[in-house]
This record gives sequence, structure tokens and C-alpha cells, in this order.
Amino acid sequence: MKAAMTAFASARYVLRLYVTGLSPRSMRAISNTRWICDTYLSGRYDLEVVDIAQHPAEAKDKQIVAAPTLIKTLPQPLRRFIGDMSQTERILLGLGLDVQLP
Amino acid sequence: MEETLHAIRSGQVDALVVEGNDGPQIYTLQGLDAETNRFRGAILDQVNDAVIAVNHENCIIYLNSAAERLYGVTISKALGQTLPQIYNCRWGHEDDEAAAMTALLERGEWRGENVHIRRDGIEINAESSITVLRDVSGQSTGILSVIRDVTERKCSENKVLVSEIRYRRLFETAHDGVLLLNPATREIIDANPFMTEMLGYSHRQLVGKELFEIGLLKDEAASQEMVRKLSRTNQVRYDDLPLKGTGGQLHEVEVVANLYDEGGLPVIQCNVRDITARKRSEEQVRLLMAEVNHRAKNLLAVVLAVAQQTAKYGDLPSYVKRLSDRIDGLAAGQDLLVRNLWQGVEVSDLVKAQLAHFEDLIGTRILMHGPCVQLTAAAAQGVGMALHELATNASKYGALSNFEGQVHISWRVTAAAKPGFSMSWTESGGPRVVEPVRKGFGQVIIGRMAEASVLGTAEIRFHEEGLSWTLNAAAENVLTGRNQNESAQGDA
Repeated sequence: MKAAMTAFASARYVLRLYVTGLSPRSMRAISNTRWICDTYLSGRYDLEVVDIAQHPAEAKDKQIVAAPTLIKTLPQPLRRFIGDMSQTERILLGLGLDVQLP
Repeated sequence: MEETLHAIRSGQVDALVVEGNDGPQIYTLQGLDAETNRFRGAILDQVNDAVIAVNHENCIIYLNSAAERLYGVTISKALGQTLPQIYNCRWGHEDDEAAAMTALLERGEWRGENVHIRRDGIEINAESSITVLRDVSGQSTGILSVIRDVTERKCSENKVLVSEIRYRRLFETAHDGVLLLNPATREIIDANPFMTEMLGYSHRQLVGKELFEIGLLKDEAASQEMVRKLSRTNQVRYDDLPLKGTGGQLHEVEVVANLYDEGGLPVIQCNVRDITARKRSEEQVRLLMAEVNHRAKNLLAVVLAVAQQTAKYGDLPSYVKRLSDRIDGLAAGQDLLVRNLWQGVEVSDLVKAQLAHFEDLIGTRILMHGPCVQLTAAAAQGVGMALHELATNASKYGALSNFEGQVHISWRVTAAAKPGFSMSWTESGGPRVVEPVRKGFGQVIIGRMAEASVLGTAEIRFHEEGLSWTLNAAAENVLTGRNQNESAQGDA
């Protein structure tokens, strides 16, 4: 487990956030995700935001059932997070980042 | 799945995706607000201006398609990023940014211009309208910027500005007067500095006046006639008009008036060229040409007389030789006069020119002595011919025909109430002189012609030891004004 955590500490993250238009929750999800990435994955992440209202086909392809949804494609395994991404500790754990929050 | 249900139950989800017959359907869970937001988003996507909304953390929460194009970014990459990650601002003045912030804080909005520098370095002249976003309780939640790309307009404005500066400079520094007139009132609406300097009027004094009021046209009727002509032909030209300045100075001017269209309004532009100096120069050339013509005729008359008189004596071969020598002598004197712009000839220069063939003897066998004085053109011509004749005679029969003879040439100005000019040619040491039996044309030249040229008297003596020639005249008939009153002390 510790070895896996070490590997995650240097891996490049590919993330995709699925939102719906300009809703406040979507905006919060975008803002929170960016903050997490900039703070804990600075310089080694690639985040793409997709509005499923405009691209519903993408939702189907990626089996999105609710929005906002954040998908971690890389490093494997694939992980999904649903909500406004305000639960930072849960997200970090899901991303495999062993970080001690204040 | 359990996690999804938990999220839906706890209100963390905006929308659900359900697979239908026509593909995936999006069901929003927030009712009217979400639909309204979607509708607004769709509208904002259609506008040409870039629209960007940021939250309190300065993170982008919305940008439309126009903003994507303007800043070269995609929505998926830009959302959640801060504005400086998309572009930086450059302000026209260092205080502008602070003033914009103050306006946002105090009034909740700011409109103005600055430069946005994209991440790829491209600069955009932006005209922005920024408004503070507020929620239903009035609390600030971020700011909304509507940005119009005015780069092209700015570029055009700059070109217009450069053009304005360039042509304004031409107008201000032109060495022609320029007047702009309103054709409807015929009044001056602008004048360049050269015009005000030429006339002595201030700009304010000129503006509002008609051309006849500044003396450019003789009366109001002439002013009206000019405008009538302009309306028919678009251009009127006056080649020679008198124009008096406020100080009384008279200018001769050339005026070219044109009727132009300036943004739909007609305007008359009068270019006023001061041709006073050119006219004066033309008059001088005309006088000079008349003088040249007069002198040429005089010279031809002298040549004709010399030719006729020379023909009276001797055979044809000697005639050709003598005539040629005499014309050479005339030409030498002519050269001196031209070199001195017909203003007179120094006596010593005249002597040297006429005795050019004996240049080696000057200072040894030909001795010159006299003050530095200048003969008039007429006197130089007569005295020059006489000197040439005397030298020719001396080389044939007199002091310069052997190896010992000498010639003393002297001239002086007598200091008296009415100064006189005296010049002498004295030969010695040559063969014994016998007075000729008959008088040839040579004697006419050194006698009557020389006398006529100085309005004086010439005396020729044939002494056994050598010929002597003396010419006396009033100095005022012989010398130029430059040295009539000068002392007669200096020697050549």
C-alpha cells in the first residue's frame, strides 16, 4: 500500500469533470476541483471540464449518471467522485494522495 | 452506485443522466433556476463580445464561445483557472488599475479600456464593462466582464492620429500661407502660422474675416465671385495679387483656391505663396538681360569700327592678322569685365591682360607703377585697346623690338578738389624713333578712341629715344565709385 502511495506521489493525473451548465453546484465543483489540483497536484495534472448539457453523448460514453461527476482516468484505477468536490479529504483519499490535512 | 444514491439524497447532484429512446437525456434537479441559467448561457454563447465571470477567488466560473476565441482557450481548460492564467492586463497609466478597482468597490461597475496580453503573447486592445455579481441577498459573489476586442478600431484610430499629426505638421510648418474658408459664409475658419506671420495678424484676428477684409481680394464682390467660380470649377488661381500686411509691407502673392469635401461639408483651401522675392529676382534677370544686350551691341559696334578702320591700311594678310590681334585685345578686356561682373577692372590687371604675350618681361623690361584703382567698364575697354595697340607697336618697332628697350607704364590719381586720372606709356632703349609719315588706325585707337572712352585727352610723342603716350581725364569719368575718393598713394 505504501509503495502504491509512493507511485501516486509522482504520477501524472488525467481528470475529467462533468458538470451541467452554470448551476451554482457545478461552479463550486469546478472551483473546488481546480483548487485541489493546484494545491496537491501542481504541475502534474490535466483537467478537462465537460458540460453534459451541451455534450450528452459524452455522458453516455463515460457512463455518467449524475452531475457534477469527477473521473480520474489516470493513474489507474479509474475512480469517480460525485458532488461539488467540497469534501477535500475524501477526494484526496480517492485520488490516492496521502496528505495530512491541517 | 451506492455512492451515487447517497450523493443524490444528500443534495450534491445537479442533474441525472437517463438513457432514453432518443439517447441520453439530462434531467436537472434544480427546477426553474437551472433552466434559466442554461437559457442565459445559450444567449451569452451567441454574443460577439467575450463574457467571463469569476468568483471571489478570481477563478473563472463562466466564459462564452467569444471569450474562447478571443483568448485562444477552451472552456474545459479555462473553467476554474484564474484570470492571470488566461491573460494579463496592461494599463495605459499606472493609476488606471487602482481607479478601476475603486470604481468596482464604490459603484459596483467599471467601464474602460486596457490591453489584455494572452498567454501566447498576443495583445488585445480591450474595451471592458465589468460589473459586480450579487446574489439574492445583495452579497457580492464575483464579477462579470463583457469584453470587446477593439484592436482593429484602435489601429485605425492610431493611423488617423498619425495622419493627423503628419498633416498638421505640414500645415504648421509650410512655407506657404494656408487659409481654410467656409464657402457658405466665405469666412476664414483656420490659418497656418506662415499666413499669420506674413500678414502680421494673429490667428484669432484672421478667423472670421473674409478675404477682402485682409486685403487679399479687392472687395466683397470679388470674394463672392471667387466662391461662385469655385462652385463651378473647384479651383481658382490668381497669379499675381498684391497683399499688404498690417505693418504696411507689400507682398506679391500667388493664390490657388480649391473647393474640397470634408466629411460631407465643403471647405475652401487657399494656398497663398509669397512670390515677392521671385518677382524681384525675375525683374533683376530682365534688367540684366537688357544690360547684356546693350553691352553686346556696344561691343559689336566697337568691333565693326575696328574692322572698318583696320581695313583702311595695309594689305589683306596683314589686315587679318591686325584685326585678329585687336579683337583678342578686346576679348582680354572683356574677360576681366565679366570676371568682375562688369563692376570695373583694376588697372594693373588690365595692363597684365593686354600684355599677356610679354608676361616674362614684366618686372624687368616692362615696369608698372601706380595705385590700386579700378576703371569703369567703358574706360577699361578704351584703355585696354590702347594698351594692346601700344604693346603691338612696341614689339614691332619700339622698345620691345630689341633686347635692351624698356617700357614704363604708370598711372596715378591726382589729389585735388576735382581729382584727375593720368596714365602714361614711356618707351626707352629701343631703336631710334622716327615719327611716321601717315597715321594708321593704331594711332586712332591710342588717340581718339582712348580719349572718347575716358572723356579726356591723349598725347602721343615720338621722341628719338622712344615713344611716349599720356592719357588724362577727370577721375570721375574713369574710375568706379569704389575708389574715386581713395587716396592715390598705393602702387600696383
